Amino acid sequence: MRILVVEDDRDLNRQLVQAISDAGYAVDSASDGEEGYFLGETEPYDMIVLDLGLPKMDGLSILEQWRRANRNMPVIILTARDRWSDKVAGMDAGADDYLAKPFHMEELLARIRAQVRRASGHAKSEIECGPVRLDTKSARVTCDGQQIKLTSHEYRLLAYLMHHRGRVVSRTELVEHLYEQDFDRDSNTIEVFIGRLRKKIPADVIETVRGLGYRLAEGTNET
Amino acid sequence: MRLNSLAFRLLATLAAWTLVVLPIAGIIIFSIYTDDLQRNYDDRLKRLADGVRLDSMDGIDEPLAPVNRFEPLFEQTHSGWYWQVKPLDEPGKRKLVSASLATASLDSPLERKFPADVTGTRWMNVKGPVGEPVRIVELIDTLQHEPGPKYSITVAGPIEDLNERIGEFGRRLSIALALAGLGLLATTLFQVRFGLLPLRQIERGLAAIRSGEKARLDGQLPAEIEPLQSELNALIHSNQDIVDRARTQVGNLAHALKTPLAVITNEARDDKSAFAKKVAEQAQIMRDQVSHYLDRARMAARVGAIGRVTPILPLVEPLTRALERIHRDKGVRIKVDCPADARFQGEKHDLEEMLGNLLDNASKWSKRGVFLSVSVPVPAKGYPKQAVILVEDDGPVCRPSSVPRSARGGCDLTRVSRALGSGSRS
Repeated sequence: MRILVVEDDRDLNRQLVQAISDAGYAVDSASDGEEGYFLGETEPYDMIVLDLGLPKMDGLSILEQWRRANRNMPVIILTARDRWSDKVAGMDAGADDYLAKPFHMEELLARIRAQVRRASGHAKSEIECGPVRLDTKSARVTCDGQQIKLTSHEYRLLAYLMHHRGRVVSRTELVEHLYEQDFDRDSNTIEVFIGRLRKKIPADVIETVRGLGYRLAEGTNET
Repeated sequence: MRLNSLAFRLLATLAAWTLVVLPIAGIIIFSIYTDDLQRNYDDRLKRLADGVRLDSMDGIDEPLAPVNRFEPLFEQTHSGWYWQVKPLDEPGKRKLVSASLATASLDSPLERKFPADVTGTRWMNVKGPVGEPVRIVELIDTLQHEPGPKYSITVAGPIEDLNERIGEFGRRLSIALALAGLGLLATTLFQVRFGLLPLRQIERGLAAIRSGEKARLDGQLPAEIEPLQSELNALIHSNQDIVDRARTQVGNLAHALKTPLAVITNEARDDKSAFAKKVAEQAQIMRDQVSHYLDRARMAARVGAIGRVTPILPLVEPLTRALERIHRDKGVRIKVDCPADARFQGEKHDLEEMLGNLLDNASKWSKRGVFLSVSVPVPAKGYPKQAVILVEDDGPVCRPSSVPRSARGGCDLTRVSRALGSGSRS
């Protein structure tokens, strides 16, 4: 999952990037409105955390322009302005959630998880695929009840596939959603990580669709 | 009508003016009229006296009895109309009198030492032969107008009629002036009422603004009152501007403080040292203090804000839409029952904050359904209208132990995290 943080306060931006990365997401960041707008317009983010009071271009205008351009990724507004008129304006502009500063990072991460889940059509925080179970709250993966140790990149890959289970996900899509913007994108690394995952979970859970990509078998339930 | 009122002042001034001016005008009119009447009467007496003189002084040795061609009443005994020709230098000599005088005689103004006017005529008011008041005119002449013995030619006429006519005129004049005075007062009263209507309109407008029915003074007012209306509207607008500026500053302060606080809190939370713990604790206190004093600043900005009226229904719709979206995971539906004309006397932001916090709280604790009802019961006589806003949810009830925390000074009840069943009336 790839997330964009648009926040002009340098320290808060750094904290957000760190906390969201630690939670298992690929994170890009922008420190002003123009850069944030450009990234959100051109990159396929799964979630955006957007501050409202930004230099060069304010957050509400950015959000409205994204929505007009049919950029429908979930957006959480992060602002010091906690009045209901601001919240209503934000939601009307197309925000999916609204978090007032100062905030607890855990709350933001919970909301990010909820938005990502919702965007991929999952109502619960745990996603099951055969014997494999992903707990998005704790970023834990179990197979037949046994915890599986995954590296950060392996976790991101498995989490993305589980969020989009039943659908064929191309290598390009995986690259776009699993790595930060400045990462050296080599699609071969995806195959390497798929291979590693197949060694840690039952190999038939991840199905290779020749010429198209990968698919996690459907027919399993959320808990 | 109160003593200290414009209407009373105008009426009292006019009443005083009327009481002074109308009697003076009456005296002047009465005087002019009586003078005119007197002059006409005197002219008549004088013409009669001239006639008697011309006839009687035509005699060669003694006066001739004048032919009565002037006044028929000279022939009627004690009619009040008399003439008399009397020698002045020879008291024993015969005098001539009108038939109406019979055996009586008229007093001579000359003998009674009345002065003559520039034409040599003397005037005198005395009692007549039968005690009736008469006015006497006297001319002094000689026979054939030649030097010789002088004669007093007197003519008398009753003045009772004259006095009656003057008295009647005086009565009518008094009644007319009294009616004019009353009419003037009534007209002034109407003028005052009519003239002060725009002020009443302003009074009603201000009351409507104070009670929240209107936001500014409207309506067409006379040119003299329009500047007052404009100034009052400008004052209300200025008051609203001050509140808006205060709000903006409060918002800016919030923005300026909350981001650094978020950074400090997050930084400290990642560090497990005692120092970081203390920083986190103090940052939390700062956060609470900022919220507390921002709330107080908002409340202070509200004090004295006038002329703000907020229709409730148009505000509720976007708020419920936003809240349903925020709580869409739970599938919360907010049902609204609000009269279209219900209004809140106060700032839109304040109502929005109050309703937003109450509805958000209800949505958090509800299972699926939240119900917002706004009603405006008919108030008791003398009490202003109140909108009763009720927010209900289908979630669990609150514990009474939560209540004391909310009773802290400066605490916004609508922000307490758990539903307390506390309501707000506006």
